[in-house]
Amino acid sequence: MGTTERLYAPAFLRFFSALMPLLCGLAGVFLTNIPISFVGGAVPPPLLGLVPVYFWCLVRPDLMTPAAAFAIGMLEDVMSGSPPGVWTLGFVVAYAVVARQRDSFAGLAGIAAVLGFAAAALAACATATLAVAVLYSRLPPLGAVVAELAMTVAAYIPGAMAVSFVHHRLVGPLRSDF
Amino acid sequence: MANGSWKIARRGNAQLPLVIVLALAVVLVLVGKAQSGLFDSARARITDWMAPLLEDVRAPLDGAERWVGSIGEIFSVYSENLRLKEENARLKQWRNTSVVLEGRVRHYENLLHAVPDQKLHAALARVVGRANRPFLRTLILDAGVEDGVRPGQAVMDEKGMIGRLYLTGKRTSCLILLTDINSRVPVTVAPGNVQAILAGDNSAAPKLDLVLSTATVKAGDQVVSSGDGGLLPPGLPIGTVVQDGGGFRVALLADAGQSESVEILNFARVPETPPATSPLPAVAAGLPPLAPPPPAAAIPSSAAVQAALPPRPKLVMPAIPSTTTAAAGASPE
Repeated sequence: MGTTERLYAPAFLRFFSALMPLLCGLAGVFLTNIPISFVGGAVPPPLLGLVPVYFWCLVRPDLMTPAAAFAIGMLEDVMSGSPPGVWTLGFVVAYAVVARQRDSFAGLAGIAAVLGFAAAALAACATATLAVAVLYSRLPPLGAVVAELAMTVAAYIPGAMAVSFVHHRLVGPLRSDF
Repeated sequence: MANGSWKIARRGNAQLPLVIVLALAVVLVLVGKAQSGLFDSARARITDWMAPLLEDVRAPLDGAERWVGSIGEIFSVYSENLRLKEENARLKQWRNTSVVLEGRVRHYENLLHAVPDQKLHAALARVVGRANRPFLRTLILDAGVEDGVRPGQAVMDEKGMIGRLYLTGKRTSCLILLTDINSRVPVTVAPGNVQAILAGDNSAAPKLDLVLSTATVKAGDQVVSSGDGGLLPPGLPIGTVVQDGGGFRVALLADAGQSESVEILNFARVPETPPATSPLPAVAAGLPPLAPPPPAAAIPSSAAVQAALPPRPKLVMPAIPSTTTAAAGASPE
C-alpha cells in the first residue's frame, strides 16, 4: 500500500481503524469473561482488556481516549459480575497513571516493558480492591487479586503481540496521515 | 513525522477529559452501589445470549476433562473399590436406622397433629459456565425464568447446598456460591440448635459467625440452613464445623468445582387464604344467625356505666410512722 493510498483511505475505513483500539479492548474483555476455565477454575482469567488500553495509550493516545478506557472497564464490570464501577475506576486510574508517565513508559523495552505494564495492572487491581473494600467496609481477600494481577502480567506478552499486529496491519496504515 | 505524531498525542492526552472520566467512574461506583439492578439485568441478557455458545464449547471440554481425570483413577481403582464397599456397608446400616426413625417421627407427628413440612419443587439444571474472579465466584446454569427459577432459590448438588441464585435470565441463571464474599446464609448448628450466619470470604471454608457469642459449638457439629427469613428452606445440609484459630469455619459438603448437574429448589411459600366469611358453622347447621350488635348510640357511655356500678370500697391507707415522715422530710436538707 503506497503513501498516496494511505493518505486517501476511505472515511469509513479511517473511522473503523479509529475504533479498532476500543474494539480490541472490548474483545479482550469478552474473551476474559467467557466462563470456561482450562485449569478447572484454579486461577482467575487475566484482564485482557487492559492490554489494548496500555498499548494504545502509549502508542496512539488519540485513539485510546479516557472515554474508551471507561467503556472497556464498564464492560468488564458488567461481564465479570463485580460490584458495578470498580473495574471501570481501575481501568481509568491505570490509564491516568500511564498517561501521566507516558514518556517514561514509552521508553521501556524488553522485560522493563513488562514491568511497566505490571505497574499499570497493579494500579488497576489496587484501585478495584480499594473500591470493593470501601463498598463492603472490609478488605477482600488479597490472594485472588494477586493471582489476577499475576495472570494479567503473564498474558501481556502474547496480548501485546496481538495488539501490535492489529496496530501495524490495520490501524497504522489506515491512519498514517495523522 | 514524529513531531506531528507527538502533537496529536498531546492533544489526545489532554488532562480535562481524564479528570471528567475519573469523576464519572467514581460516580458510577456510587450509583452502582445504589442501583445494581441495572448492571444485573445487562449481565443476564449477555449470559442468555452467550448460553448456546457456552454449551457448544463446554461439551468437548467436559469430555476431555473426564478423560484426563479417568487416567489418574486407573491407578487407584482397587483401593477405591475397597473403600466404596466399606462405605456402602456402613450406609446400609444407616439406611435401616433412618427408616425406623422416619416411621417413628411420622407416628409422633400424627399424634401431635404437627403441620407437615412444605413440599419442595425442584428444577434440574446443568452447569454451563464457571467464573472465578477476585470479587465474584459464580456458576452459570442452563435454567432461567422460563423454567420457573427465581433469584434467591437454593441450589444443591448431590451432597449439599452450594449456593443460591442471584441473577436469572430467560434461559440462564447465575448462582452465588456459599464461599463468595457476598454470601450470607442463616444456618443452624446441630446439636444444640445454635443459630449462626455463614459468611463467605472467597476462601474454601466460609466463616461461621454465631448470633449469640455465648453459644458453644465444637468441631464436627453439623451445619444446616435455618430457614430464618423465609428465603431458604430449613434443614438443607451444608457442612461440618471446623476449628480455625479462635473462631469457626465450615467445611462444605458440596464441591462446587466438580458439580455438573444441580437442583434448584423452589421454596416459594403459597400465600395463605383468609377464612371464608359466608356459611358460618351455626348457619350451616340450620341454627338462626346471631342478632346484630346494637347501634353505637344505644351503647351506654362510660360515665353511665360508672354511675350504675356499686360504689367502690374506700381504700384505707395505713398510718405512716412519724419517724419515716421526719426522715423523709429531713432527707433533702
